[in-house]
Amino acid sequence: MMLFIAILIGCIVGALIGVNIPMIPYTYSGYLAIAIIAALDSVFGAISSSLQKKFDMKIFISGFFVNAILAMALTYLGQKLNVDIHLAAVVVFVGRMFNNLGTIRRYYVEKITDRKIIAKAEATIKESKKQ
Amino acid sequence: MKKQKIYIVVIIGLVTMLLVAVMFAQFKTIEETDITGIETARETELRTMLSSWKEKYEETAQRLTETQNTIDEYKRTIASNEESSEILDQELEQTNLLLGKTDVVGNGVIVTLTDNDVQTISADDLLVLVNELRLAGAEAISINDKRIVNMSEIVAVGDSILVNTERVTSPYVVKAIGDQTYLFSALSLKNSGFIDTHTSNGETVELVQQNNITIPAYSSSRELMSLNYAKEVEEE
Repeated sequence: MMLFIAILIGCIVGALIGVNIPMIPYTYSGYLAIAIIAALDSVFGAISSSLQKKFDMKIFISGFFVNAILAMALTYLGQKLNVDIHLAAVVVFVGRMFNNLGTIRRYYVEKITDRKIIAKAEATIKESKKQ
Repeated sequence: MKKQKIYIVVIIGLVTMLLVAVMFAQFKTIEETDITGIETARETELRTMLSSWKEKYEETAQRLTETQNTIDEYKRTIASNEESSEILDQELEQTNLLLGKTDVVGNGVIVTLTDNDVQTISADDLLVLVNELRLAGAEAISINDKRIVNMSEIVAVGDSILVNTERVTSPYVVKAIGDQTYLFSALSLKNSGFIDTHTSNGETVELVQQNNITIPAYSSSRELMSLNYAKEVEEE
């Protein structure tokens, strides 16, 4: 419960800050986009790992920042080398995001089906007890 | 355990805030940036733009030199044209003078013929006078300020005399510009000159020399020098 309130407040305050922030030069917006993709990937990774009860705060925070910074650094390096590394980064991060989303989806689908099976089993048990 | 949980919640809130802030800043940047502007163009776009502009510049520079060459040529032609047009202007002026299209001024003589009780002046008298003036080298002649040009007529129609299709009446003032002394002496020859022969007929004729006579340009309802039938012979 506290967690959701924290996320909500974070969203609102973040949106306000983002709208009022001075404009970022267009040249750097490419780096920023890569950083955002990396951060989002970390967030989805965190959600899926927390569903699997493997969530670790340190790994999440370090992944969040280090992935973003590394992605930016790689993009910079790619520009220096005249290779579109940012494309590779985008592919990797988006692929991982889809993987994580798939994990989350599978978790909830299994949960719902499990519940139904359990309900059915309970119903049959009750009936057998009555008889 | 409780302290740990608050810690986690605060960190996750901060992280969310950071992520959303950066995302919104990015949204704003993308939305507000004019993609077609030069300042925001990516390096590769700039490179292609630069090369295309360079090409255009080279093309334009080439065209500029070509145009300058043509301008120089035109200037040269203009210079030569100016010379020829000056000559043409001079010729035109002279031709206009000859044809009587301009007012002229100069020294000459004025002959005044007046009807009297005995004799009236006839068109023949005027014709003879004009003829003699021409023989004496008159360069411009007018009768009552009607310029005599090469197509002018002096003709009697009924009781009146027409000059340049307009009626003239007594006194007839004939002005002529030319060599003053020659004109004067030619007209006033003893016995055979125009003055003597006509005064002896009883006509009133006066001859005076005058400087700075002004003879007006040809002006008539008939259009001057428009040849409808005579054509120039084409040389082969």
